[in-house]
Amino acid sequence: MIRRDFLYSLGSSLGALAFTSLLRSEESAIQRSALANPLGPRPPMHAAKARACIFLFMEGGPSHIDTFDPKPALEKLHLKEFQRQDRFASAMASGKRYYVQSPFRFRPVGQAGLEMCEHFVHLADVADELCVYRGCQAESVDHPTACFHMNTGNRLGGDPALGAWVTYGLGTENRDLPAFVVLPEQAYPQGGTGNWSNGYLPAHFQGTPLRPVGSPILDLHAPPTTPPGAPRANLDLLAELNRQHLQDHPAQAELAARLESYELAFRMQRTVPELLDLSRESPETLKLYGVGQAETDEFGRKCLIARKLVEKGVRFVQVFSGGWDSHDNIVKAHARRIQAIDRPMAALLTDLKRRGLLDRTLVVWCGEFGRSPDNGIRAGGVAYGRDHNAKAMTILLAGGGVTGGRVVGATDELGAQAVAVARPIRDLHVTLLHLMGLNDSKLTYFHEGRFKQLSQTGGEVIKELLA
Amino acid sequence: MVRFWVAWAVSAALAGAMPALKVFAGEPSAASGSSAALAARAWAILQSKCLACHGDDARSLKGGLDLRTRDSALRGGVSGEAALVPGRPDQSRLYRSVTRTDPDLVMPPKENDKLSAEEVKLLERWIAEGGRWPNAGELWSGPAEGVRVRTSGGLTADWTQRAYDPADLWAYRPLTRPTPPGPGHPIDAFVNARLAEANLAPAPLADRRTLIRRLTFDLTGLPPTPQEIDHFLQDPSPDAYSRLVERLLASPRYGERWAQHWLDVVRYADTSGFANDFERPNAWRYRDYVIRSFNADKPFDRFILEQIAGDEFEPGNPELAIAVGFLRMGPWEHTSMSVAAVTRQQFLDDVTNAIGEVFLGHSLRCCKCHDHKFDPLPTRDYYRLMAVFAPVQFEERAVPFLPGEVSPGFDADAARLRRSIEQASAQLEALAQTHYQAGLAWLKAKGVDTSGLVAPKGAINPYSNVFAQLPEDLRPPRHLGLTNDEIGLIKVLTKRREHLSRSLSRYAPEALTVYNGPPNGYMSTGARNVKKPRPTSPGEVEVIHILAGGALESPLEPVTPGVLSAIPITTEPRREVTIPTTLSGRRLALAQWIASPENPLTARVIVNRLWQHHFGQGIVATPNNFGKMGRKPSHPELLDYLAQYLIEHGWRLKDLHRLIVTSETYRRSARHPARELLTQKDPNNVLLAAFPVRRLSAEEIRDAMLQASGELDLTMGGPGVFPLINMEAALQPRHVMGSVAPAYQPSPTPQQRNRRTIYAFKVRGLPDPMLEVFNRPGTELSCAVRDTTTVAPQAFALFNSQSSADRALALAARLQKLADQPPLQIALAFRLLYGREARPAEVDRCLAHLSRMKPIQEKHPPKPVKWPTVVKRSMVEEMTGESFSWDEPLDVFAEGYVDDLKPWEVGADTRALADLCLVLMNSNEFLYVE
Repeated sequence: MIRRDFLYSLGSSLGALAFTSLLRSEESAIQRSALANPLGPRPPMHAAKARACIFLFMEGGPSHIDTFDPKPALEKLHLKEFQRQDRFASAMASGKRYYVQSPFRFRPVGQAGLEMCEHFVHLADVADELCVYRGCQAESVDHPTACFHMNTGNRLGGDPALGAWVTYGLGTENRDLPAFVVLPEQAYPQGGTGNWSNGYLPAHFQGTPLRPVGSPILDLHAPPTTPPGAPRANLDLLAELNRQHLQDHPAQAELAARLESYELAFRMQRTVPELLDLSRESPETLKLYGVGQAETDEFGRKCLIARKLVEKGVRFVQVFSGGWDSHDNIVKAHARRIQAIDRPMAALLTDLKRRGLLDRTLVVWCGEFGRSPDNGIRAGGVAYGRDHNAKAMTILLAGGGVTGGRVVGATDELGAQAVAVARPIRDLHVTLLHLMGLNDSKLTYFHEGRFKQLSQTGGEVIKELLA
Repeated sequence: MVRFWVAWAVSAALAGAMPALKVFAGEPSAASGSSAALAARAWAILQSKCLACHGDDARSLKGGLDLRTRDSALRGGVSGEAALVPGRPDQSRLYRSVTRTDPDLVMPPKENDKLSAEEVKLLERWIAEGGRWPNAGELWSGPAEGVRVRTSGGLTADWTQRAYDPADLWAYRPLTRPTPPGPGHPIDAFVNARLAEANLAPAPLADRRTLIRRLTFDLTGLPPTPQEIDHFLQDPSPDAYSRLVERLLASPRYGERWAQHWLDVVRYADTSGFANDFERPNAWRYRDYVIRSFNADKPFDRFILEQIAGDEFEPGNPELAIAVGFLRMGPWEHTSMSVAAVTRQQFLDDVTNAIGEVFLGHSLRCCKCHDHKFDPLPTRDYYRLMAVFAPVQFEERAVPFLPGEVSPGFDADAARLRRSIEQASAQLEALAQTHYQAGLAWLKAKGVDTSGLVAPKGAINPYSNVFAQLPEDLRPPRHLGLTNDEIGLIKVLTKRREHLSRSLSRYAPEALTVYNGPPNGYMSTGARNVKKPRPTSPGEVEVIHILAGGALESPLEPVTPGVLSAIPITTEPRREVTIPTTLSGRRLALAQWIASPENPLTARVIVNRLWQHHFGQGIVATPNNFGKMGRKPSHPELLDYLAQYLIEHGWRLKDLHRLIVTSETYRRSARHPARELLTQKDPNNVLLAAFPVRRLSAEEIRDAMLQASGELDLTMGGPGVFPLINMEAALQPRHVMGSVAPAYQPSPTPQQRNRRTIYAFKVRGLPDPMLEVFNRPGTELSCAVRDTTTVAPQAFALFNSQSSADRALALAARLQKLADQPPLQIALAFRLLYGREARPAEVDRCLAHLSRMKPIQEKHPPKPVKWPTVVKRSMVEEMTGESFSWDEPLDVFAEGYVDDLKPWEVGADTRALADLCLVLMNSNEFLYVE
């Protein structure tokens, strides 16, 4: 009666059962399937190469102008002052401003000659895997709203994250692990756990953060005062009491599910630390990712863990890296951030490829918005930086069936806004879903009288990215 | 109302050749069937489903196909195939695509837009009959079937004139006065009639033991005590149950429980969310106001008036200045990064939608961008409703404390905060000095005379330092003399001081409130919210425009304030609602319209919410959506009966509770003798043949554990308290605009920490992880129904957490104090946690467990664990791109923290008993109520 295959989260719940009947003839097939067996693997809606996604989120807003979208025109304008007054500009972007040239040199890399900032030394080696998309446009210039927008499709938060939608659509291939794993920094990004929320989707699709410091999952272990052996003995009694109780309540699937969830939790005390233990990786691999080197250790570890997770069948891994909000001193601040991710990112692509995983793993790199070609004048304003810019940003795509060595879209001469293949975030989301074999218009969830979807009201695939 | 009829007349005039158009709201229009009607209906489908891509924009026709005319449809698009082959649906590409049978030819592309089976059938018949386009006259002959609804008018004439299935309009029609279809308790009469129709027998009544646990949790959110259970079981009088009901309804715990349901719907939190997630230091007064209102059984119509328009209703009443805090319950902030027009619009959208969801059972979000796809809610109504709130301005206003609002610990807590603020200030001043000295040296080296550069006393902000008086080219570099860590620390300390200074206002007699006036430039930034002084003259009220596609950049015509114009749908002449256009009085007029017994939505919506909390599922299963896409009521007559009952009983909710819980429907057993038949005939128990089992909510789990362990402190009200939450989450740095928020520190005394969960300080950006995994809703969206999912992290939280361990140990110690032999202790544990006697076999099994655990505990005496007095934190500093770390003081642990009972303070037998208690607290029997 008790199933042997333990599941990270269990399907049957009073809420879900009750809800199934609330659906009418219009409800999506996916919703029925997902409610009946939330994390069971589901086939893609159309043929697609990507079976998993690693989403590298650079919190703070990396500058496209100083990374992958050089703007030589700014050299002539450097430090030239101007005034901006605009009802739709924030206090930050208004008033007396000056243009800022990139402090970095660029050079063409890879066979395709993609332009890349000088500090991307290792990423240059895998440039031909990268599709550089310069056309995406956000809507918000505030960090939390922009983060919510990029991660959940809704600026105001409260909605399911991209990873939640993907796992809702595809389930997972390893039911002993969460389907959607988040690797945050010790400080969670602005907006906090809302960035990996399940929103109105059932809680099975919520992102599970594996924390980098302390216990990777909260309360994974009992308090330190607990004697060894006590939890197991207590669990045995609990299972007995619950089984007894269940006999009086034969119809309650939820009660059985809860019984099983304790066993799984107990097993995860072993499996989760194993997952995070990098000691079995070869020294060559560790070096490749920059693990053990001060500037790359943190991000390198996360990229390596992300690879392990994908290898084990986790569907969606989101990695956060903060500190990109370079209003000042971009020459130093951005250089440091780039160095922190350069080797690990290159390693991730290299490692996935040599293990035959790159083709089935979509890798995405982006922030919540791009940065402005100009900056405000601040006290002691000699350390040039850039403010927020929702109108232009760079997204990198690799693996998962995306053709590399390409630039798609373009920003204007100064990098102030996207002008070619300029598309909103919802279209990016629809495209990412498409690459994962999911159709945003079919990947709906009927909630409080509305079919809800990641794109909110529908979007279109950015065909140029599929070429 | 003038505008209303003008708008109508314009669209009528546009209709041109239309025969005299007589529209009475709700009147069925011409019968269908004629060729003209068929053409008109087919055209309506093409318009709504196809023309967006195949006609509206003639310059970019998808696939080159133009469906505006018959000729172009016959011609087809780039495929070369005709979209329309008259008489041959099977050969018509148009028809084939809407049937969605050929995967390569699926229209409309979006699954959600697909045609209904009826629509497909209609197109088939239309093409079979020749596929004629309607002529100008027929075009406006109106919908072929269904009813039309009079509204303030849609953005298009088509929308204005569209037809509705009468069944979808049930919620907008006046309340009916149904008579119970049988004798006895009216609720049972309605429910049993449906059961009889379905040939289902109701389950027998539950026993008293089950009833008191069910009712006590339901009405108070707490379990009954063993004494209360005994008393009820031994009460021989026939009215024992109704006296139990009265006792619970009169308990202050009732207000705490039912206020929680309301706070879910209004999204209560003690912080603002988003970038700074700053504290709203006076929000707790609104929480207490809600609790007081429920306990006082405030008539619900008055509750509405107070929250929407209390300040207009009774301007001098301090309680009502607190009540209108309701309008500000959504997440909102305005920082220096924000665009004022955008954040203002965010508020207006939020409050407009909140009014719809909370009181009227309608999300209005769809109407922001377009006329409602399914319901008679035009975009115009959305902005008319928004215009009611155009004069609303935010304010934190001095409002004297009401009796009972000043809680014990006020002064001590405020003093603690002051000390932390002083400490941060001192650190900042030291850093400023470092920079100042370095700057002086730098200037001297350049030969600049520094004699006049004396730092004024208290100039502790290194960013606006003394060097600002020098010409720009002479100033020392911005961070001169400071290390990377120090540069980061300045930001951290500045932010810390801001956060703590805001928190200090918790203890000030201020209210989170609003007033009517012209825009006041309110910003939630820094230590206090900044706004221009409140103007003395009325000034201009913000004009609200309809926004094309909801975009601020595309204002259309201005609107005057109004209500939902479709409501009520009635053939009777209805009282037209006028909302004044003056500065003051708009909200009051709206609130009066909402709180009117004639508003068909209000009473139905609240009655449904109450029902849902009693039975787990509403009569309308979508409590925030009473429109077409919401669920239809399972017992429509009962719903109206209850709504009328509420109104006739002066909108007093306790009367309604009393009616519901005294019914047999409520008192039935959860165990049905014919469970299989029931599962087959009514799998979701909509007909309520048996009482639905439910899992305790997150708050109930925590509160019930505290009550059982004897630690629950029943003090009511006051600023939020800080329970012990998972300390790793508490101490984890939490990003706020360029810095980190101060660590979450638990309150210093057990009395404060162990109060009911509703009094716990609620941080939007830091939910208590234990409550979150047990489905406590987020604070962004209104939550009408909580989920109950089963996920592994629940086991971690309940089985492994420090707070569970603390509760288990406290319960063990309590059991030992109250009973001296293990068998009696076990029996008492069962009574406290399960509300029943332990069976002999259970006692034996538990005794065996104690024998097993005691040697384990003896072998491993726990070593004392000390709380940290500082926490090391690190983050990437944006100024340098480098990681830096710092120590943040945890003052609560440094001085005066009184811990809960700890395992190293007790013997192995107590710890073994605590193991048993932990197991019982994790068991299904404890977590579920039947």
